[in-house]
Order: sequence, then C-alpha cells, then structure tokens
Amino acid sequence: MSEISHRREASHSGAVAERGPVVRGARPLAWAAVDPGQHTVALSCRAVEKRFPGDVVALDGLDLEVPRGAFFGLLGPNGAGKTTIIRSIVGLTRPDAGDIEVFGLPAHGATATDSRRLVGYAPQDFGLDRFVTVRLLLELHGRYFGMSRRDAARRTDELLEVFDLTDKAGALPNRLSGGMRRRLVLARALVHRPPLVILDEPTAGVDIELRLDLWEYIRRLHADGTTILLTTHYLEEAEALCDRVAFIQHGRIAAQGDPAELLSRFGAERLEDVYLQLVGR
Amino acid sequence: MTGGQLRRGQWLGVLALIEREVLRRVLRLWMQTIAPQVVAAGLFVVVFGVALGNSIRTIGGVPYEQFIVPGLTLMGVATAAFSNNATTLYQARSEGFIEDQVSSPMTPTQLAIGYTVGGVVRGLFIGVLTLGAARLFVDFPVEHPLALAGALLCAALAFAGLGTVVGLYSRSWELQSFVGAIVIQPLVFLGGVFYSVASLDQPYEAASHADPILYLVEASRFGILGTADVDPWISFGVSFGLAAGLLAWSWALFARGVGLRT
Repeated sequence: MSEISHRREASHSGAVAERGPVVRGARPLAWAAVDPGQHTVALSCRAVEKRFPGDVVALDGLDLEVPRGAFFGLLGPNGAGKTTIIRSIVGLTRPDAGDIEVFGLPAHGATATDSRRLVGYAPQDFGLDRFVTVRLLLELHGRYFGMSRRDAARRTDELLEVFDLTDKAGALPNRLSGGMRRRLVLARALVHRPPLVILDEPTAGVDIELRLDLWEYIRRLHADGTTILLTTHYLEEAEALCDRVAFIQHGRIAAQGDPAELLSRFGAERLEDVYLQLVGR
Repeated sequence: MTGGQLRRGQWLGVLALIEREVLRRVLRLWMQTIAPQVVAAGLFVVVFGVALGNSIRTIGGVPYEQFIVPGLTLMGVATAAFSNNATTLYQARSEGFIEDQVSSPMTPTQLAIGYTVGGVVRGLFIGVLTLGAARLFVDFPVEHPLALAGALLCAALAFAGLGTVVGLYSRSWELQSFVGAIVIQPLVFLGGVFYSVASLDQPYEAASHADPILYLVEASRFGILGTADVDPWISFGVSFGLAAGLLAWSWALFARGVGLRT
C-alpha cells in the first residue's frame, strides 16, 4: 500500500492550491467538461421513478442530494432500490420519470455521456473482462473514458501500486483471489479520476481484514476531495465512514442527515436502531 | 476543455474498444477465432474443388475448382463476422463486463461502431486468408478487385450486424447456435456456393433468388471470375441493402439499450 502524500496541485483554473492528504496518483479530473469545484452539489436526484416488468416499483419518486465532498452512505434493506438508483446514475438503468444530475450535468438524455466522465462506479456484482490482463483492463477502462493511451498507462501504474496489484499486472482477472478482484474493481472505478465515486456494497462478503483495508483505501480517496456515495448493508460501516447517510425504503428516501442528527431525531444510540425503527421492527 | 476535445475523447474510447476486440480477442485467440475457419475453407477447396473437380469439369465454362472459391470465401467472411459479434456481445453481457463500456462516455452509436468494426475486421481477415489458402491449390484470377472488396465488405458488415442483433437478444448460447446452424448455414449452402442457380429447375431457381446470400455470392463471384448468374448491379444493390438493413437494426438495438440497459 502506498504512502499518503501531501502535495500542491494545479486547480482547473490554473491556480496552485494546497491540498490535504491524498492517495498517490489520485489527481483532480483534468479534462472534464465541467469544473466539479464550481458545484456545491455532486449528485442530485429528483422524483426518480422506475418500475420493472410485473409492476415492481423499484424507485417511487426518490429525491436525493449528495453535497460535493461528502462521504454519503445509502442504506436500506434488500430490494429497497439502492442498486437501481445507482445504476440509474451511471446510465445502466433508465428511469421512467424524474431527473438525475451529476455536477449539474443530466445523467440521461442526449448529453448524458458528458456526466459519465465524472462518475466512477464499482458495482456490487462485478464483471471483469477475462480476456485481458489486469494492467490492460485498467488501461482500457481509462481509454473508454476518453484518456489517451499514455495517460491511461501512467494512471494504471499509479493505481496498481496504490492497490498492491503491481505483482499481478500481467495476470488475468479470473486468476485473482476474491480480495484482489475487489481491489481491482475499486481501482478500475478510479482510473479516469472521477470526482464522484459510487461504491455499491464494496465490502459485501469479504473478510474483516480485507474490509478494513478497503475502508482505508476509501478513506484516503475521500480525504483527497472525492465525493463518495456508498451503499452498504453493514450499518457499522456507515457509522465508521460516512459523514451523511440516507435510508432508502420502498424506492423512497425514508430519512437522511448526518449520523449524529439522525441518532438524535430518532432517539437512538446506533444507526441500527434508526434502521429498525424505519423498517418497523 | 472544449467540446471538441471531449468528443475526441469519446473516439479514443472507440479506438480502445476496437483494439480490445481485434488485438486482444480475435488475434490473441486465433486458434479459436481464425484457424478453424481457414482450415475448413481449405478442406472445402481440396475436397470439392480438387477431388470432385475431376468429375464436375466446368460450370458455365469456368473450372469447378475456380467456381467455388468466391462462395467459399464469402461463406468464411459471413460466418466469421456473425459468430464474432454474436459471441463477444453475449459473453460481455452474460459476464457483466460490458457495463464498463456501456457506462462510459461512448454513445450507443460509437459502441455499435466499435463492435461492428471488430466483426468486420475478423470477417475480412478470414476472407483474405481463405483466398490465400485456396490459391495454394487452385489458380484463379481476380478480375475485379474492387468489386470483390465491395462484396466481401458488404458481407462482413451485414453479418457483423446480424451477429450484433443476436448477441444483444441472446439469453443463452442457444440463439446463436440456432441462427448459425438453422438460418445462416442453409442460406449459404442454398445460395449457390457450390452450384450455379441457373442450372436449377423451376421453382427452385426462382426460390433461390429469395435467398439474400445468393446476391453476396454472385457479387463475390463477379469480383473474382468476372462472370455471374445475376446482374452485378442487382447483386451489389441487394448486398448493400442487406448490409444497411442489418446494420440499422443492430444500431437501433444499441440506441434502445436492448440487452444493455434495464
């Protein structure tokens, strides 16, 4: 695992700004259509609806706002709509109604492709291209997202080091252990330097040691100024990482706020108690 | 960064997708993607052309071993382009890694272009190698090289498009096996690859003209031998129309997100 470094980085306007601790190689998006720094809201979902065949209501007028720079936890039971809203944000699911904007850019419609540059997505059920090596998988991802071959290669080297995958750079992804594949999926989401990273159940089914490692990676990413939207079943994970959480139930946001505020509002000691009150148990 | 630079970035993505399809899949897996079809085409030339050619001397004044080369080449191009796109898209969908491309800034049209180019390159690669393998056993002319290139390109585009359609609709490997074995193979064999449709009695001769592959075979035959049973303008018109229609279908599926977005 690489060390955390402090450094001065050029901002989009060309000015040089002092930055806090960063993951080595995690630099601001240098080529995005918009300057994410101009927006105080990283993600905005308004009245988003989605029904699946069989009249299954996955999203029922969901409203959600993620401030820029937040570490935002989206919590809820299975089938509550967490993955559907995430897939809607990255363009893999098309909502029936409502608006989604990423740093002010619409996530659907003719200009949706511009917003996708700003999002890094680590899915829960990750599919990794088994025809290419770990290194090429990362490089190709960067190039799919518009990076030049050279920039993608340089960024890949950085991320291989950050995620302790340098030794496996020439291996095929299906030869990696489960933990390595988790790290690879996280690295893949970061190749194009997105200012908003969406992590769908990043620690589901992993052992405690790897979970703590992944937490550390994610914390460093957030410390770099990246906005993070995290879904998780583990309420202690949300308590440990998130500065703001929302509970989703039946396709709507049932409650949201910073953890202390929610605990106070619900007279609870832990987020788990808030969750149990919301689901009526 | 300007809009032009952003658009350029999208095309860099398309180039990466083409590289992934052609260099990292087709060429790296050449023992599965290239060698079997070239060997099969070579065997057809040897068995049907060189061996049986002694029994069937000429068709329309053309030595039989020469007569079958255009159709065999066309058959190789069509089956390679089809199976390439049907397989690669179904694999990428079923294993989930297509989401990396679908959630990227590339537009549906650009994704369609990337995958189509992959199928076309593999198809034409097979076509060129088939011609080379046939040349080892049979001496044949290439009377109209541009016409031959046009015919093979139409075939590659058309069947890459059909492969894309099947790859996007497939929910298992069965659909592509079915289309390959029950649709494409019979149409190819009944499309005049091994015989002249002009020699058939009615209504078989007339029925043969309902087979779109006949026109691709005849266009290819015109390009190599300089002679064909069907007017070259009609052959090229139908071939172009077939390619345009199947590509439009495949593009429409990408645009609607069929098999890609829920």
